[in-house]
Amino acid sequence: MRLIRLAFHFFRIGALNELQYRVNFFVQLLQSAVALAVGLIGLELVFSHTQALAGWSQPELLAVMGVHILMGGIIQAFIQPNMLRLMEDIQQGTLDFALTKPEDAQVLISVREIRIWQLVNVLIGVLVLISALIQIGGQIDLFAALAFALALGLGGIMLYSFWLILTSISFWVVRMDEMVNLFEGIYAAGRWPVGIYPGWLRGILTFIVPVAFAVTIPAEALTSRLNPMSLGLAGGVAVAMLLVARLVWQRGLRQYGGASA
Amino acid sequence: MPNNTNAIQVTDLCKVYRVPVREAGLTAALRSLVQRQTREVAAVAGVSFAIQPGEVVGFLGPNGAGKTTTLKMLSGLLQPSGGTVQVLGYTPQRREAAFLRQMTLVMGNRNQLQWDLPALDSFELQRAIYRLPADTYRQTRDELIGLMEVGDLVHKPVRNLSLGERMKMEFIGALLHRPQVLYLDEPTIGLDVTMQRRIRSFIAEYNRRYGATVMLTSHYMADVEALCRRVIVIHHGHVRYDGALSGLVERFAAYRQIGISLAEPTDLSAYGQVVASDGGRTTLRVPKADAARITARILADLPVRDLTIEEPPIDDVIEQVFAT
Repeated sequence: MRLIRLAFHFFRIGALNELQYRVNFFVQLLQSAVALAVGLIGLELVFSHTQALAGWSQPELLAVMGVHILMGGIIQAFIQPNMLRLMEDIQQGTLDFALTKPEDAQVLISVREIRIWQLVNVLIGVLVLISALIQIGGQIDLFAALAFALALGLGGIMLYSFWLILTSISFWVVRMDEMVNLFEGIYAAGRWPVGIYPGWLRGILTFIVPVAFAVTIPAEALTSRLNPMSLGLAGGVAVAMLLVARLVWQRGLRQYGGASA
Repeated sequence: MPNNTNAIQVTDLCKVYRVPVREAGLTAALRSLVQRQTREVAAVAGVSFAIQPGEVVGFLGPNGAGKTTTLKMLSGLLQPSGGTVQVLGYTPQRREAAFLRQMTLVMGNRNQLQWDLPALDSFELQRAIYRLPADTYRQTRDELIGLMEVGDLVHKPVRNLSLGERMKMEFIGALLHRPQVLYLDEPTIGLDVTMQRRIRSFIAEYNRRYGATVMLTSHYMADVEALCRRVIVIHHGHVRYDGALSGLVERFAAYRQIGISLAEPTDLSAYGQVVASDGGRTTLRVPKADAARITARILADLPVRDLTIEEPPIDDVIEQVFAT
């Protein structure tokens, strides 16, 4: 409850900040539209040659794309800006202000920033998803919907943890900016279900960068191909990653407190 | 709860940094990739002092003396390498919420306000972080706004404020939770004289009203003179002086600097020690007691265009006294 109220305050500040730059909204709209068009054309191209890709039909892959855009929007709106700010704060020593507040520092650094225009992508993702589900036809039962929401939430937790671990490394290694590009490159691979990739890459996309959990598994939940085991595994991995992230963050803070001023 | 009567109690405090060393050049850089060589540097080497509740203490020393490092250990940002710190009975490095709620850190060269928004929005955020009840928050906020005389400026985006106005807002934001311990690190740096004076009287008033303990570092002697009866001077990580400000000025600022502009370059070494000479402008160092007499002689003897008498900068004084 506390966390939500604090997050709401930061959300408000973030919204106020961004509303001053309305042109960013249109830039974002344009960017999202281009990305969507490129994605759709890619999908068309693939299916002009074949009827199914690793067992996924065209509307099903559209659903994967929808989840990918949706999750991308969440990352860019809530996770990435906070982590970039953290990197900057570590480099410039301004993290001091967060550490002198009577609040858990991890909570504080995780909710400070928000890019509301990125929510455009969340919206587009939802629209793409809905249109995919209509094309697929059939009923989405309550169980599938809940499994989808749960899988999405777990995926979000994993990506957050992944980002926090990555960002915490900048307590030891000063320049981490390149990591952002690296992440974006790998995340782009999530546009397709991880099943289509060779084993080694699937391994990376599942357990190193948790794209499989964040995109493929939620999409599986909606296209009635989810193995309950996967969801259980997702839960386990999410908890484990959150714990590791917490640990690395705390080690990082100790490093910060011991390193030069 | 406080378990002793001192607001701040520091005993044998040490901080050792491990810094990488390597020689210049590519080869050395490559070698350090494989084998990192580090060297230990003691930024704070056995500092002890005690500060009573409500005291305003100037914390002085040249750059790199260990002032900021000490303040950071007192606020729980850095782990001491040795010794103990107690602030209001708490151990800062544990970063207990109850401790953090009672202290604040203001750094003149860094700010925490939202750049694009009116300061009022940042204040709201502080209220949420410190969980201040709405009515006490509003009361404190309006009181501080009144004290700082910022009025409607709180509605202007911070980016449109002057440096001084921004600093005033920083102070208000940092004090909304009415901390009992204030660490002020160069709070007036870069501000014009009027603004410095304004900030100074604000600090004095806050201290008077709330009985808060203040530790202040500043390069401006005027800040220290206006606010601190007591000063602690540290140099190379050691306390070199701890006592009344009057004693410090007497002991260390035993000189005055006289700046003289003459129509043509003249040798003035007969009047005092020439510190700097640049065309027609000469700076002399003379004993404080003789300053008036020598000034009178110079004015009588020479065609002086302009003449100023100044105390040497506090850093120079400290550096000079401790250089030996």
